[in-house]
Amino acid sequence: MLLVPAGAWLLLLLVAPSLMILEFSLHPGLRPGQAFGAYGLGNYLQIFQPIYLQVIGRSLYFAISSTLTCLLLGFPVAYWIAVMAPKRWQNLLLVGFVLPLWTSSLLRSYAWITILRPTGVLNTLLSTIGLPTLDLLNQQSAVLIGLSYNFLPYMVLILYASLEKLDKRLLEAAADLGANPQQVFWKVTVPQTLPGIAAGCLLVFITSLGDFVVPELLGGASSMTAARLIYNQFLGATRNWGFGSSLSMLLILAVSVSIALLIKYGDQEPERY
Amino acid sequence: MPPTNFRNSRFLKRSPQFSMTTRRRFLQASAAATTGVILANCQRNLSDVGSSDGGNTASPTSGSTDTLHVYTWADYTDQELADSFTQKTGIRVVSDTYDSNETMLAKLQAGGGNIYSVIYPSDYMVQKMIGMGMLTELDKSQIEGVDNLRDKWSNPGYDPGNAHSIPTTWGTTGLIYNSTVLNPNPEDWAYLWDEQRQISRKMTLLDDVREVMGASLRSLGYSYNSVDPAEIEAAHQRLVELKPAIASFKSFGWEDQLMTGDTVLSMVYSVDAISATLENPDLNYIIPASGSSVWTDTMAIPTTAPNPEAAYAWINFLLEPENAARAVERLKFATPNQPAFELLSNELKENTDLFPPDDVLKNCEGIAPISQEISELYDRYWTELRSA
Repeated sequence: MLLVPAGAWLLLLLVAPSLMILEFSLHPGLRPGQAFGAYGLGNYLQIFQPIYLQVIGRSLYFAISSTLTCLLLGFPVAYWIAVMAPKRWQNLLLVGFVLPLWTSSLLRSYAWITILRPTGVLNTLLSTIGLPTLDLLNQQSAVLIGLSYNFLPYMVLILYASLEKLDKRLLEAAADLGANPQQVFWKVTVPQTLPGIAAGCLLVFITSLGDFVVPELLGGASSMTAARLIYNQFLGATRNWGFGSSLSMLLILAVSVSIALLIKYGDQEPERY
Repeated sequence: MPPTNFRNSRFLKRSPQFSMTTRRRFLQASAAATTGVILANCQRNLSDVGSSDGGNTASPTSGSTDTLHVYTWADYTDQELADSFTQKTGIRVVSDTYDSNETMLAKLQAGGGNIYSVIYPSDYMVQKMIGMGMLTELDKSQIEGVDNLRDKWSNPGYDPGNAHSIPTTWGTTGLIYNSTVLNPNPEDWAYLWDEQRQISRKMTLLDDVREVMGASLRSLGYSYNSVDPAEIEAAHQRLVELKPAIASFKSFGWEDQLMTGDTVLSMVYSVDAISATLENPDLNYIIPASGSSVWTDTMAIPTTAPNPEAAYAWINFLLEPENAARAVERLKFATPNQPAFELLSNELKENTDLFPPDDVLKNCEGIAPISQEISELYDRYWTELRSA
């Protein structure tokens, strides 16, 4: 009985819409205001045309690279806050790091435009100290910067939660037994925080895969991502809801698999040595 | 009078007080552009901020007789307009905005638009919606001032006899550029290719498949509305050549970049351009000599309108020359209303960006509806262009 509210919620807001999209996706070339035609896989086959694969490839590239960037930048920060910073500062540091999340991601993207544009903050700074200016805005690099910046706080939060539980006695024991700092890190710290790393990476991957504000605003002329392609199918001039739905199903599938992996591997207790 | 069909537009109107509101509008516009329906659903209650209904979940019953819900392009209405309407009729105005005809159509088709009694479809969309049976045939006995419309709009091709729609604004698509930086100055579409080196990565084009493809088609001497696959492919190839020089595709939010010098040339809608040129004299707007697109936006009553009486009152209110003229002076769109035109200041009347002479307009076409098949062809090339 206690499951009824949650179950109804999921059924109404998650399962039912997904099934509707599935239904849409199985009618090739379905358009709004049109009766459902015959069933077919045409919409799914359309995805395999080179131009659409290229779009999906770009989305994956953005998602994977921003995930790696977040991990590389986020781990040292989280480690520092959780392990090295004085205890009483921890909460404050954490809040400071999460503070940007209180503003809209749209606003943060505009801030990056101001920084990266040809006569922007960054280039003014560079030219004052005599360095050559950079043409970063309206390129893929700007998208990666924007995505990484947007999702870094999530990564830090999750890694912090994981690193905070780190058993420091194990680190001391390892050092005691002759492991050098590098060995301690790779053989003790990393394995213990692996679930946190997996959870952080998947969260960043999933959110950046579906993001289209950042690529749209910072990516310039070649910024088409899967999310924007779906948007165009639903609200653009062509309005092929069938194809848009099959693309959506693909995204839903990718995200579901990621979450399944997260549940299977992310929640395990770290191995004890 | 040129026998032009006025058939398209999709754009966001800007505020007249450029410097004061730039950033806010910029954000609003771009937010609408990028998040589409989400923001389109946000409700701006013009006359009574405290008691707005909730977006697209509102039921038809929320359109009580003393409230009129208007679904329009951003900045086609403003507080002043709504206030004076309320003052005159006692009807409260709640206006929501959209950023493309397609967004508006999708919302209405999905059933989320049945609180609206007045919508602002563009020419080609009027034709499409009439075909779908979505627009009310107007009862002309309830409308005063239709004869104020200039001849060109008295019997438009997209809606013969204005049976379902009342033309309310029009404009063109063209190029805005910084005249202090560019030498020579652009006169036609071909400039983009000829001077590619000079404007490389300092140029933005509209984020609109038909406009951009149309411009490329036109630069090759074809129709803006070509349906010949070979011509469309040639136009696409030409855009692929231009691609490395394009900084981004933006329908909104190009102003800041142009003002700061990050870009030097943008393909834009006239409504947005005129405010910018009035603000900054270095900026010039041109309608390319070989021809561009010209569009008309209309007021129409959807068949689902809960409050048609108020809708007629709104249409009548905006057909009144004084009201139309005041709106033009604040919002800088061209009006098809002749007596309203007469009431404008000489400065505006003689602004050829706002009211281009007929010999410029004669090369312009409206964007015509095309078959699903050709539309998909355009869309494929567009996706290719945007992802290569």
